[in-house]
Amino acid sequence: MDETGRERTARAERAPKESGGAFAIEFRDLARSFGDIEAVRGVNLKIPHGQICGYLGPNGAGKTTTVKMATGMITPTSGTALINGIDIVKNPIQAKLMIGVVPETGALYETLTPIEYLALVGRLYHLERDAALEKASVFLELFGITDSSERIMTGFSRGMRQKVLISAALMHNPDILFLDEPLAGLDANTAVVLKELLRELASQGKTIFYCSHVLDVVEKVCDRVVILTEGEVVADGGVEELKEMTHRASLEDAFTKLTSEGDLNAIVKAFSESVTGRAHGAGNEK
Amino acid sequence: MGQAMRSRRSGDDRLHAGSRANEQAADWGQIRALFTAGIRMDLRSARARQRGRIKIPPMIAMLVTYSVIGGLLAISLARTSGPFTFTLLTFSAAMFMTAITVIMEYSSVVVSPDDYGILAHRPVSSRTYYWAKVANLFFYVTCTATALNLPAAIVVGLRFRGGVAVGFLYMIMALLACFAAAALVILLYSTALKLFNYRRFNTAITYVHSFATLALTFGYVLIPRMLIREHVFISIEKGLWVWFAPPAWYAAGVELSVGLGDSRNLTLALLAIVSAAVVIHAALTMISLEYSRSISELAGSSAEDTVEVDQRRLQTRFAAFGVFFCRNDEERAGFELMQAYMRRDRKLRLRIYPAFGLPLAVYLFGLISGGLNDPLGPRAAEGTFPVRELLGFYCVFVTLFFASAITQSDQWKASWVFFSAPLENRVGLLVGARKLVIWRYLFPFFCVLFVLLSFAMPVVSAALYLFITFVLSLMAFALLSMASPFMPLSQSIEKTKQARQMGLIMLLGVAMVFLVAISETLRDGRVAGLIAVVLLLALAGLSEIALRRRLASKLAQDEFLG
Repeated sequence: MDETGRERTARAERAPKESGGAFAIEFRDLARSFGDIEAVRGVNLKIPHGQICGYLGPNGAGKTTTVKMATGMITPTSGTALINGIDIVKNPIQAKLMIGVVPETGALYETLTPIEYLALVGRLYHLERDAALEKASVFLELFGITDSSERIMTGFSRGMRQKVLISAALMHNPDILFLDEPLAGLDANTAVVLKELLRELASQGKTIFYCSHVLDVVEKVCDRVVILTEGEVVADGGVEELKEMTHRASLEDAFTKLTSEGDLNAIVKAFSESVTGRAHGAGNEK
Repeated sequence: MGQAMRSRRSGDDRLHAGSRANEQAADWGQIRALFTAGIRMDLRSARARQRGRIKIPPMIAMLVTYSVIGGLLAISLARTSGPFTFTLLTFSAAMFMTAITVIMEYSSVVVSPDDYGILAHRPVSSRTYYWAKVANLFFYVTCTATALNLPAAIVVGLRFRGGVAVGFLYMIMALLACFAAAALVILLYSTALKLFNYRRFNTAITYVHSFATLALTFGYVLIPRMLIREHVFISIEKGLWVWFAPPAWYAAGVELSVGLGDSRNLTLALLAIVSAAVVIHAALTMISLEYSRSISELAGSSAEDTVEVDQRRLQTRFAAFGVFFCRNDEERAGFELMQAYMRRDRKLRLRIYPAFGLPLAVYLFGLISGGLNDPLGPRAAEGTFPVRELLGFYCVFVTLFFASAITQSDQWKASWVFFSAPLENRVGLLVGARKLVIWRYLFPFFCVLFVLLSFAMPVVSAALYLFITFVLSLMAFALLSMASPFMPLSQSIEKTKQARQMGLIMLLGVAMVFLVAISETLRDGRVAGLIAVVLLLALAGLSEIALRRRLASKLAQDEFLG
């Protein structure tokens, strides 16, 4: 008998309990190439339920490509991404029902109102229309954008869009969240609320895969940090573990040591000299 | 002391004046950089880069299309009595198409609302911006005008006295005419933006564009074809009207160059040159970074968006009824998304609505020429212009616009949500969007046509004829969607794509084989006709099945590359 969308949703909600000890997220030799460029090279990772995992790396390290593969937006060249033990390539529907995504691009259908957009997302996750609308209204109220709920999003600030995107990711109460720079554009108060919300969700057993460049936040929020550079994992552990491993006092220093090829101080100096023109004795002061 | 103060003040003024002059000075390095970037963007296809495939740049594709349009126009108008008539008609068409192209591509070719956000905080003076945009505009209009007019210039060179020299002069006059047309559009558009509400004005532009398509089809596609078919040697006599028809001024100049015409020609040619100079100068004063800011502010103002959404809620009830035809959540999502976008996205409407102008132009033409004969009645006389078949063709052709437009959006990157959502049936999204198009646009349009046709033929004949055409349209919609197998609003809008679509209308002169065959069968016998209709319905069903299979295989492998 064919399973309806709503039945699948219900089954997905039971999945963590039934996953028989499977990890919430598991990557096995996950790799993706674009032509000759190897964006991600054989990433192996096991993230248990209820963990907030920070996924860090310099620009172009392959973070967003990993998220895209893990969320089924693109197919890996090789390797496997498992969500609650389910292969996202082989069984994408079942896997996607368990995840919520906040993409880095912040793209949404601006010509819709927030309510309409969230209703659309609700449809895609087979939520009852009324339930979806009610939930959407509550989210928008909590985020303080109820006044704008009937406005099309063309004129929205990045922060307001981000609030809608976060609401959309939470609409179907997913077991696992993939957040790519979720704090981008958010005001300080909302950022605090979101950070606390992530902790609260993690305490309820939800798993959060958190990509960010803001190391302070990662240090405060994440239980575990994975550092990626040039498509490969170069470090994996708790914040304190990474500090010990690199003999550095802060996560920022540890990150720098692991991902920077050159001496950052030397780069800063060279930059400064280039800006002022002193390096070549051709200052632009008049 | 007072004198010292005055002296100091005048010194300050000079200083400020000097600084202002410096701010306003054009920086040729910046101009060159901005101009080059503009051309690069014109010639590049973003999607092609992303997918790592080689693709013909959209502007090149548009220029090829325009060359073919220009060629077809030149050949179809070659049966004219002299250089004046020929040049008048080709110049009119070229000026008209240039004007339409500038309207359609206004934000990318003339002044973009994004420019202010990108350039305002950079040390780019208004004058630098001005010259860079002017250079881009000249480049763009030169390219399109050359593509449109070169074939006609060759015809002029070969057919009329004067050879290469006259062909060359024709090109110069054609470029001048097209620049004047573009300038006039900029002038009118910019002035109108100052006078009217931005959003309402842009909505109005959508309808103006539809009307323009109607006029273009009516004036430059149907009439010359009919005249050729009727073996009429086209000849337009000069009268008082020439003083009020700008294309005639330029045409008079060309006629003069082949040694024809009189003092009136000379005056008209001078009028062409002077008016072009005045209009171009006036239009160019409209181009500034400050103007980009104004457009940006107007476009970004969302104060009335709330009102707009509330006001339009009532109007959606009819369309909302159509959601009952959707079989699952994916179809409903596609239906509702497309419904909102068709209602609010002016760009989307601008790309689609002109399509309706084509069949309406043919209908008008049919009314005037008496060509809308009863498909079940006696056969039309041999050699009669096939208005009814052409009407059917254009009705079917409307679906081409929908088939590609519903997959494109400026906000295509938002389609990531379809890739991350647990959709077992991605096909359903496009199917839902197509159902909206059929229910909200195609069906009502055919109902309107039925009412209109009922004035020209018996009601039963009109109903039968439109039923067949409607089924053919659905079949064409399915086949055309196979060429655009993407999820709704998931593809970027490439500049000039709209223009290429407009070109396709004129290129695809494929006969309505099915429509003619079935009409003939119906006329010959009811039973045979019924069988033909049933066969047509079966074909339509098969094309829908084929579409869904194609979509299923294509969309299953689709990746989000944003």
